[in-house]
Amino acid sequence: MAWVTWRQHRAQLIGMAALLVALAAAVVGTNLPIRAAYHRDTLSECLPPTSRAGCDIIVRHFLGQFDGWATALRGLAVLPALAGLFVGAPLLARELEHGTHRFAWTQSVTRRRWLLSKTALLALATVCAAAITSALVMWWRGPFDTLQGRMSPSGFDVEGVVVPAYALFALAVGVLAGLLLRRTVAAMTVTLLVFVATRLAVASFLRPRFEAPLHRTALATDTGRQVGDWILSDTLVDAAGRQITAGREDLAVLHAQQAGIDPHAYLVSVGWKRAISYQPAGRFWEFQLVEAGLFAALAVAVVLTAIWLVRRTPS
Amino acid sequence: MIEFHLDARSGVATYLQIVQQVKEALRLGTIEVGDQLPTVREVVADLAINPNTVAKAYRELEREGLVVARQGRGTFVSNTLASASVRHHEALRAAFERWIAAAEAAGLDDESIRALISSTLRETFARRVA
Amino acid sequence: MTEAPLDARGLGKRFRREWGLRDCTLTIPEGAVVGLTGPNSAGKSTLLALAGGLLAPTEGTIAVLGRDPLREPAVLAEIGFVAQGAPLYRSFTVAETIELGRRTNAHWDGNLVAEVLRRVETTTRVGALSAGDRALVALALALGKRPQLLLLDEPFAGLDPLAGREFLKLLMDGVAETAATVVIASHVIADIERVCDHIVLLTGGGVRLAGNVEELLDSHRILMGPRRPLGTIRGVSEIVRERYGGRQLTLLVRSRGPILDPSWTVEQVGLEELLLAYMAPERLPTPQPAEKVALRWHG
Repeated sequence: MAWVTWRQHRAQLIGMAALLVALAAAVVGTNLPIRAAYHRDTLSECLPPTSRAGCDIIVRHFLGQFDGWATALRGLAVLPALAGLFVGAPLLARELEHGTHRFAWTQSVTRRRWLLSKTALLALATVCAAAITSALVMWWRGPFDTLQGRMSPSGFDVEGVVVPAYALFALAVGVLAGLLLRRTVAAMTVTLLVFVATRLAVASFLRPRFEAPLHRTALATDTGRQVGDWILSDTLVDAAGRQITAGREDLAVLHAQQAGIDPHAYLVSVGWKRAISYQPAGRFWEFQLVEAGLFAALAVAVVLTAIWLVRRTPS
Repeated sequence: MIEFHLDARSGVATYLQIVQQVKEALRLGTIEVGDQLPTVREVVADLAINPNTVAKAYRELEREGLVVARQGRGTFVSNTLASASVRHHEALRAAFERWIAAAEAAGLDDESIRALISSTLRETFARRVA
Repeated sequence: MTEAPLDARGLGKRFRREWGLRDCTLTIPEGAVVGLTGPNSAGKSTLLALAGGLLAPTEGTIAVLGRDPLREPAVLAEIGFVAQGAPLYRSFTVAETIELGRRTNAHWDGNLVAEVLRRVETTTRVGALSAGDRALVALALALGKRPQLLLLDEPFAGLDPLAGREFLKLLMDGVAETAATVVIASHVIADIERVCDHIVLLTGGGVRLAGNVEELLDSHRILMGPRRPLGTIRGVSEIVRERYGGRQLTLLVRSRGPILDPSWTVEQVGLEELLLAYMAPERLPTPQPAEKVALRWHG
């Protein structure tokens, strides 16, 4: 089945490789000037706990210059979905759509073995490609990870072991969608929707709760950054700990301005504080493993479902 | 080598048509004793008919004593049809009687002559159809 | 004695609301070349798909060489299947298709495949081949595994007469070489009449007629005579079809022994006419006992 899988999915696998090459070139090409600027401005000296005069401005300048790239990089979060759309969905959908399953499944290989072999081999290729992508992105984001951390989604979603897990999950969903819908375009659409929905659900509702978040309070005037931590919520609370609505905050600021007092100082004097809940940067790998494990387990369950169902497909 | 043709509309069963064509070839001298009939595969690939049909025809010819099937080597003509050979019987018989006379003159008794005839027949036929 | 190549008992398949095949009971003997015929949507493709392990029965059983193709998929190695339209991977070359067959089948006869495809250019993409050559590639793949049972679903559809004849020649050659039992589904009787020694007629989801062709032709006759009320006719067990033309009455009957009644002109019947008579809707469907056919051919 190895030869058959290779020959049938040759175009997709070569496309994957080409994409990786292009990505590598782009990553290296765009990152060299960034690293040059990083070293030129000796931004490494601006990392807490060290600091020197003007760091704030230098860092802001640096980020202002290159942040666009970093934001664009978030788009790479779509790459794992491609495994589902262009490798997973056509796998069964194209066979069923064209009727070639009546050819493929009447040789001497059983349907289940056929599907298992193909999926396993393509999964291997997908995981490798995704791992390389992740490594490339991690290298690229080096300066940004140091300055901003990678716990927040802009870093978390595209680095580490979650990327191969996402790709595996997308592939699995594609395979099952192809089996159930029997049409390539429909399978691709559904795969994309399911993938996006699941990713959003996990990132929004589950990831913040992988472990109980930490809390701290800060003065209202304290605009210091927590480098690397993932801020979940940052709200104003009054002395009793009740959250202050935006309306109330605006009113207080207006009051201070009319009285000619610095608004921040006024807020402090009233006893208001900022309540911050966050996930510390140190939990990065722990969270990575949990989320990767979750998506990998889902992927396995979905593939097993497909393998179990494939025997029941009426032809 | 004989080539068969099939008349699908004649109403005559296919296997019978083959049998008839073999007999006709025998009569015309197109094939002779010792010749190999086309293999089942050859006939079937040429006419697009059921191999069982060819096998049935060859079995019928074997039943009639006209051909013999040699395991793994093919089907061979083993006998001509009487009408072809009848013409030659008189001349052959006369030659045979002359030979017997010569054998007796050489000193062979009855038993030796019979033995010589049987063994020669056996060897000759075995050589031809091998 | 090994198991029958194909044995169906009360086999039925329902698709959503309709039955594609119902109450099919049938045994095919080893070495037979069976024509599976009947009108479109009679269940021919369904029966073959069930035999080939592509569908699961809704009711009844099917056994190929004594094994259920879905429960014991190892028997797939003994079944050569050419589905309707001869599906193949169009982007593969012929050589690659052969390679696929070689790698996904247990026993493979490369020589036989090469012989079947000796006139096909193996570097050509399958999608670029003519319909006839594509059919030959599909046939070669099915024969390459030297199957014991060969199933062909409407193999002549879309083939011009020359290509159809070429296909039939190579098919029969392959059968002679492998001694496979063959079932050819075709709704055009003329295409398969030449080679079949057995016939199975499916209509409306059931087995209408099944048997050895010679026996069927021997046991049916056409009777022609002046129009008259019909009583029993000696030697006739059943009237299959009645036709009235002016003062002439033509019957197609199943006979039981010779028909010696001098008031009838008795003639033999051709296979196509016989099958058409059994297919015709004007024939009232008498509850035909599902014929279990112990098919034997003379010889």
